[in-house]
Amino acid sequence: LNAAPGRAPRQRVRFLPAPAGGDGVATGLVATRVPMLADHPLVRGPRFRRLKIGAGHRLDVKASGVFVLGVGHGNKLLTDLYNCHLTKVYTVSGLFGKATDDFSDMGKLIEKTTFDHITREKLERILAVIQGTNHKALLMHSNIDMKTQEAYELAVKGLIRPMGKSPPIITAIRCLQFALPEFQLEIHCLHETQQYLRKIVHEIGLELKSSAVCTQVRRIRDGVFTLDDALLRTHWNLQSIQNAIRECQLKVQIELEKTLG
Amino acid sequence: KMAAAVRGALRRLWRPPAARRGLAKSAGPRSVRQLREAEEAAPVFQYAGKAAKRKDRVFVWGFCYSGALGIPSFVKPDAGWKKPRRIQSTPYRLETEEKISSAACGYGFTLLSSSTTDITKVWGMGLNKDSQLGFQRSIRDRTKGYEYVLEPSPIPLPLEKPQQTRVLQVSCGRAHSLILTDSEGVFTMGNNSYGQCGRQVVEDETYSESHLIHQLKEFDSRVVQVVCGQDHSLFRTKKGAVYACGWGADGQTGLGHYNITSVPTKLRGDIAGVNIIQVSSYGDCCLAVSDEGEVFGWGNSEYLQLASVTETTQVNVPRHLPFKIGKIKEAACGGTGNVVLTEEGNVFVWGYGILGKGPNLIETAEPEMIPPSLFGWSDFNPDIRVAHVRCGLSQFAALTNRGELFVWGKNLRGCLGTGRMEDQYFPWRVTIPGEVVDVACGVDHMVGMVKSFT
Repeated sequence: LNAAPGRAPRQRVRFLPAPAGGDGVATGLVATRVPMLADHPLVRGPRFRRLKIGAGHRLDVKASGVFVLGVGHGNKLLTDLYNCHLTKVYTVSGLFGKATDDFSDMGKLIEKTTFDHITREKLERILAVIQGTNHKALLMHSNIDMKTQEAYELAVKGLIRPMGKSPPIITAIRCLQFALPEFQLEIHCLHETQQYLRKIVHEIGLELKSSAVCTQVRRIRDGVFTLDDALLRTHWNLQSIQNAIRECQLKVQIELEKTLG
Repeated sequence: KMAAAVRGALRRLWRPPAARRGLAKSAGPRSVRQLREAEEAAPVFQYAGKAAKRKDRVFVWGFCYSGALGIPSFVKPDAGWKKPRRIQSTPYRLETEEKISSAACGYGFTLLSSSTTDITKVWGMGLNKDSQLGFQRSIRDRTKGYEYVLEPSPIPLPLEKPQQTRVLQVSCGRAHSLILTDSEGVFTMGNNSYGQCGRQVVEDETYSESHLIHQLKEFDSRVVQVVCGQDHSLFRTKKGAVYACGWGADGQTGLGHYNITSVPTKLRGDIAGVNIIQVSSYGDCCLAVSDEGEVFGWGNSEYLQLASVTETTQVNVPRHLPFKIGKIKEAACGGTGNVVLTEEGNVFVWGYGILGKGPNLIETAEPEMIPPSLFGWSDFNPDIRVAHVRCGLSQFAALTNRGELFVWGKNLRGCLGTGRMEDQYFPWRVTIPGEVVDVACGVDHMVGMVKSFT
């Protein structure tokens, strides 16, 4: 970063004596623009000594996916984005037939159960119920008085959302793939942790009178940032980071204006 | 010499290997292979087999003191220190012996019926001051009957073929009830001061502790639906005709006069010759839906229920309601508001009271649609549709095709089942552990018939 051409040094108007005529006669002063000495690279030193990097929503060790970082001014934008309370989307893969202590397949085995009675229809029924109860929790934690006309209008448009602290809420959940014993769900949620998602998988297994563990949690969207905007490990270099920041700037600004006004 | 002594001591301490005890190896971290083997060797539990059936359950909620919820411990607690529960604000499971196929909530009492061929087909609980639950013999005094029935108690019906006849449907009004069977007509019991039981009014008749259950058989064809209004009864036959009897001061009998009728008489007016496929009533207003999706109404119109066709507040002849909202599939009448469901799955409300479109809509004469997004419809779930609508006295209920129950209206004594005591101005989900198949709404309590998830 420091090797890149920096800002041009500031100019200052100084009154310098004009180049001498030849005789040494006192001549007038000429105003010229001269680069300031204080801005000389040798005086100033390297432009960037430290970078302030902040992290967005947490992603734990066993999970993968989009992880948002902010650089410099981006940290302030990160706090604003956090206050927008936008939903995140995860793809969660699970496996029927096992129950472990930490709800993932790397944990200590607690119990094994049969799962041949599970059908896609039963799973979808359970998912519909989860969605229904979470929708109710969404309305309840949003701290809006249900008796007002504004609450009714927001509920019709589906814009009611908790704008403060709340327990984890799932706004939408659906089954992407179902091939016994594996299944994959797409979950849209707010204020959650990845361990909570694994717990949900475990509870789905219990509701279906069997047991389930979570094999993979992958975040595919975090507010406005999707998988397409994310940089792979091979792209962690200055050029790609600068391009990514430039592309996302507009999206972030629009979203912030829309939500926070 | 010291070294030799030490060496000698050491030699004595050294024990031969054969006498060494085999101590267990310490349990270090298990290798991957050991973990895998342990996992494969673990026993497999089976909680549900492939042929596991979904169970049918009944949930009740609302006002408990009348005994209409059927759980005695709410009114008379088992332990002395417990206090009786006045309101059950969330759904509570009611254990029943048989699978309940039809339920109806009256004004302080409930009837449950099962389509079994056993002797006991109908159970009742709640208020019995007018023998609306039949004669419930008291255990303490064999000559007297119970005034309040706290548990679902069998109602003995005078059937000719008790082991063949099946009970199809039950319905409850303010102080009377109707039971529809498949081959033996309609049985009526309870208060008959306005002829609502379909028999002649007897002056000064005492209705409490009465053994009388009247049977009605003379209709033009088999009766397929019975509906109780507050003090009148409606019968719908297979041929599409509607019969009525009972109190008529608001024209709810639809027979062209405002007197009481004690014999079920066929309705004429705009429904003469029309094949009616559904009738509904709960208060003093009645609605009927024809097979072509047209809706007809008669009865009380003080709350603008029929104001779209007439300015009068009582309509005693069925009138066609010309609504341009699409083909209507189902209608339900409440005390002051009405709701219809169209073929596309849209819900329309009109009348007076909390209609479900926010606190600003208090009364309207023309039907207003409730946006489907309030029932869970969204871009993520575009297939959600409302399948049934039901009405209580001042509350509404809607069932979606996913088995979710939405309620709205006045929350009288916790009848909505939301867990809160406030009125609900737009449809709100009721959390029930199961897929709701049907719901019956009463004045201050509700009964839901639910299938378990797995």
